[in-house]
Amino acid sequence: MANVQDIRRRIKSVKNTQQVTKAMKMISAVKLRKSQERLVALRPYSTKLDEVVHHVVGRLRAVPSLQPGPVAQAFLSPREEKNIHLLLVASDKGLCGGFNANVLRAAQSFLRECPSQVAHFQAVGKRAIEWAKKQRIKTDAEHTGLAVTDLKRVASEIAAQAAEQYAKGEIDALYVVFNYFQSAVAQVPTVIRIFPVEIETQVEFRAETPHLLEPDPNEVLEHLLPLYIETELLRCLLESSASEHGARMAAMDKASSNAEEMIAKLTLNMNKIRQASITNQIIEIVSGANA
Amino acid sequence: MSNPIKLEVLTPERMVFSAMVSEVQFPTAQRGYYGILPDHTPVLTPVGDGLVLYQQDGQPHCLTVFGGFAEVGPDRVILLARESETIDQLNPEQIEKEQQQALAILKEAKDEATLQAAQRQLDASLIRQQALGKDTSH
Repeated sequence: MANVQDIRRRIKSVKNTQQVTKAMKMISAVKLRKSQERLVALRPYSTKLDEVVHHVVGRLRAVPSLQPGPVAQAFLSPREEKNIHLLLVASDKGLCGGFNANVLRAAQSFLRECPSQVAHFQAVGKRAIEWAKKQRIKTDAEHTGLAVTDLKRVASEIAAQAAEQYAKGEIDALYVVFNYFQSAVAQVPTVIRIFPVEIETQVEFRAETPHLLEPDPNEVLEHLLPLYIETELLRCLLESSASEHGARMAAMDKASSNAEEMIAKLTLNMNKIRQASITNQIIEIVSGANA
Repeated sequence: MSNPIKLEVLTPERMVFSAMVSEVQFPTAQRGYYGILPDHTPVLTPVGDGLVLYQQDGQPHCLTVFGGFAEVGPDRVILLARESETIDQLNPEQIEKEQQQALAILKEAKDEATLQAAQRQLDASLIRQQALGKDTSH
């Protein structure tokens, strides 16, 4: 049987661990709030942009005389998907439950079922990069150590690259695998196609009269679509960042309460042993006095 | 004084400005300006870098805008900007610092990409200074 001293030492070490997990939970909560605020702030912007894109694309699809530029073509008349650009978003650090495992599994099954060739691959987060190495997938670019404030820059970089690759004919579509932020405790690994966007052929005109496209439809599309891709990418990155912190918060909360439980068990055990040894000593004294 | 147009300026990071105004001018991607009065025909157009000038209660005001998109309706102007600030969100010292930084890079940099980035930063700081200069009138 372990002696009281040993158990006391164990309790102390569990308490230390608990302190660490509690602190990590607190930090994650703050970071989660920051990411979430950005996500919420992005919403009015992206909703409006979405509306405009749907309106313009829906209207211009019907115009046969239009000669769209390369990026605009991606939206108006999608090519057959042979080569795709894939962006995998995971995290730099672990200790966040199933966050990375889930998104990597989603990426794996996407790759297995995807009929087209992955021509370009970019990874965000150390875990995604390690996974790509293990799968022997060549990465174009690796992004690590991103703060929430960097995400906008990264999104516009990737958007510009993808648009260029589409124009050159290297890729036909851009996909993103990331964790969708459903709530602070629920993250759903998701695969979405950023472009070409799927738009119902019949779009209701919300406007009173159709908008004039100044200076001409082509120019409007060439400006609008990169902005749209950029915004969608930014949204994915923010979703993933919020999910990461949410997942870590949940994992650390679980760890803290487990530590609490363990301490309670160990304390009970220790008290039992202490009492047993006291009882033993009394018995010895009593039997010694009787003799 | 009535303010029949709703001016909204949105960036990916926040809602920069939202108020009723009577007249709006914003820069276009072709280095021109687009003036909007009430009952303007609906228009979609790319936005350039520069100052958005608007009239509110007969007073001229301005804010900065850097790229993006404008949706104009008879009673609204919605600017989806990459970046934008109102006057009170600008910090003169910060702008001065950015400007010096950009100038320093412009003097030393050799490759095209850095030069372009520095030039953009310089242009942006000049626009912001211009906005602050306008503001001293009231």
